[in-house]
Amino acid sequence: MSKKVLVVDDDPDVRSFVVTVLEENQYTPLVAVDGVEGLEMIEKEKPDLVILDVLMPRGSGIRLYRHLKTDDTLKTIPVIMFTGIALRSFLKSQKALEEFKGEKVPEPDIYLEKPVEPQELVDAIRKKI
Amino acid sequence: MPANKILIVDDEQAIVRLLSMSLKSDGYETFSAFSGEEALDVFEKADPDIVVTDIKMPGMDGLELLKKIKELDPEKEVIIVTGHGDIDSTIMALQYGASDFINKPVRDEALAIALDRAKTKISIREQLASYTHDLEDRVADATRQIRRRSNFQRLLIHSSHDAIVAFDQDWQIVVYNPEAARIFGQRGRDVLNKMTIDELYPPQLAQYFRKEAENKADDREMPWQEMVLETRSKKQIPVRYATNVLHEKNEFMGIVNFFQDLTEIKRLEKELIQSERLAAVGQTVSGLAHYVKNILIGLKGGSYVVDVGLQHNNMEKLTTGWQTIKKNIKRVADLTQDMLSYSKERKPEPEPCLPNEIVDEVVDLVKDFAASHNIVLSKTCDPQLGEMVLDPRTVHRALLNLVNNAIEACLELEEENRKFVVEISTKKGKDGSAVFAVKDNGIGMDEATRARLFTPMFSSKGGKGTGLGLLVTKKLVEEHKGTIDIDTSLGYGSMFTMRLSEKPENGRNVNDKG
Repeated sequence: MSKKVLVVDDDPDVRSFVVTVLEENQYTPLVAVDGVEGLEMIEKEKPDLVILDVLMPRGSGIRLYRHLKTDDTLKTIPVIMFTGIALRSFLKSQKALEEFKGEKVPEPDIYLEKPVEPQELVDAIRKKI
Repeated sequence: MPANKILIVDDEQAIVRLLSMSLKSDGYETFSAFSGEEALDVFEKADPDIVVTDIKMPGMDGLELLKKIKELDPEKEVIIVTGHGDIDSTIMALQYGASDFINKPVRDEALAIALDRAKTKISIREQLASYTHDLEDRVADATRQIRRRSNFQRLLIHSSHDAIVAFDQDWQIVVYNPEAARIFGQRGRDVLNKMTIDELYPPQLAQYFRKEAENKADDREMPWQEMVLETRSKKQIPVRYATNVLHEKNEFMGIVNFFQDLTEIKRLEKELIQSERLAAVGQTVSGLAHYVKNILIGLKGGSYVVDVGLQHNNMEKLTTGWQTIKKNIKRVADLTQDMLSYSKERKPEPEPCLPNEIVDEVVDLVKDFAASHNIVLSKTCDPQLGEMVLDPRTVHRALLNLVNNAIEACLELEEENRKFVVEISTKKGKDGSAVFAVKDNGIGMDEATRARLFTPMFSSKGGKGTGLGLLVTKKLVEEHKGTIDIDTSLGYGSMFTMRLSEKPENGRNVNDKG
């Protein structure tokens, strides 16, 4: 039984790319187009790994990520942040949020800046599952 | 110089000596002669101021001497001593220019009075001479000053950076400086005192000034105004001009115009706008880099999907990948177009077109995309809005930009239950303009976003916007001398209203394609 990987990204081009990479490497792809749909999928399908975009309409990747990492039943699911936002900017926003909300969430397991070669993405997934 | 030297002439030596002694005691310097001939000799040597001579003498008599002396120097005073009642001689002497007469025998008092009178005459003459001399000097001086002043004014007019043209009461050109010659392209010598206002100015302007002159009773200045001057040689020159109507005692004297050539200023203004625009594109580079990176992501991803499709002969993958690539090629094309539109000057090319048809075209272009995101597109076209002379490309691009923005504004809003609608409507404006309105019930804008809407590099869409779209829209609309208004409320939506008028004054310019 192949492992399930969820892609949450509002860009259909990115989704089709990631889905193709997953299929080519014998993973079962799942897709969601925004944060809200992403959370529904996670709760329903319990994927083995989530590939998450940061900037999306309806519940950004940041919001979904913080939700996952603070939910006891979901926090073990590895997350790959997959985004056009530079890591530095992302970490800065996390720090600001931590100070604001007073809760600390671990840094993402893997942070990939688009664009990536298919092999880079596969390597990152294999590191985790 | 007081008249002090006296020549006494008489054939009777005793009288000469007597008078001489008497006058010496009065302080005069005296010279003596005992005949007319001797008197002339002494006169030439001693140069006396006054001659006192007996009229009756052997040889050259007093009259003859008087005549000779007056010939030598008409200014000399000659006092004639006559016998009592010798009227004929007296009259003759007067004719020859004698200054006074004393009767014989000569009494001291009579001589003194005659001498005083002669001296007074001399001094008056001297004063008069000095006055006359002064007067000439003063006139010369004043003339020099007047000439200098008029030269100064002539130079002032001549060297003025303003073109100065003045007309007299008959509208003849009486002042026309080199700058005027440069602007109007006519030489001063062909114009000055030769042409009238109607021959130099374009008919409308001449008519205008004639009317102004009639209407203006006082010398009130007319404010500076701007216009495009079309000269007789068909040159179009942007100018600023001022006018003074001149009156003297309520009588129309003429009119003077000052012109400033604005060509250079207009050129600099244009250059400034152009360079600001280029700078804006430069500033947008970081925003653009982000946008270009997104395109690259799409292209790379798409080509990978195509590769996979080719490997497995999977038509579905091929189609998906190819769609992605095509979409991103279009994004590059659009971006390039936006950058070019924004950085380049483009004159609108108006032609008869149907605004409502352009709306149809735009709606056709976006309807599939809108439908795929559950956004309803509604279209309300005013049937009164018929054929108009507008640049259809401007209308199309600007409208497409606005509609795309409206759709994106709906996509931005994270609200599940809202039924998103983008309404596109047209209307015939009261002033005959075409009014296009694009209304959405998407995310809307707060005041800060609204204020920065037309600043370069500003995008509220994260990496998905170039920050150029609205700038381009605004530029297109402004080039068309139209307006664009925004009404927006954060969380409730926005409405963009674009008004474009027909512009008969700006004809189609085929040579200046953007």
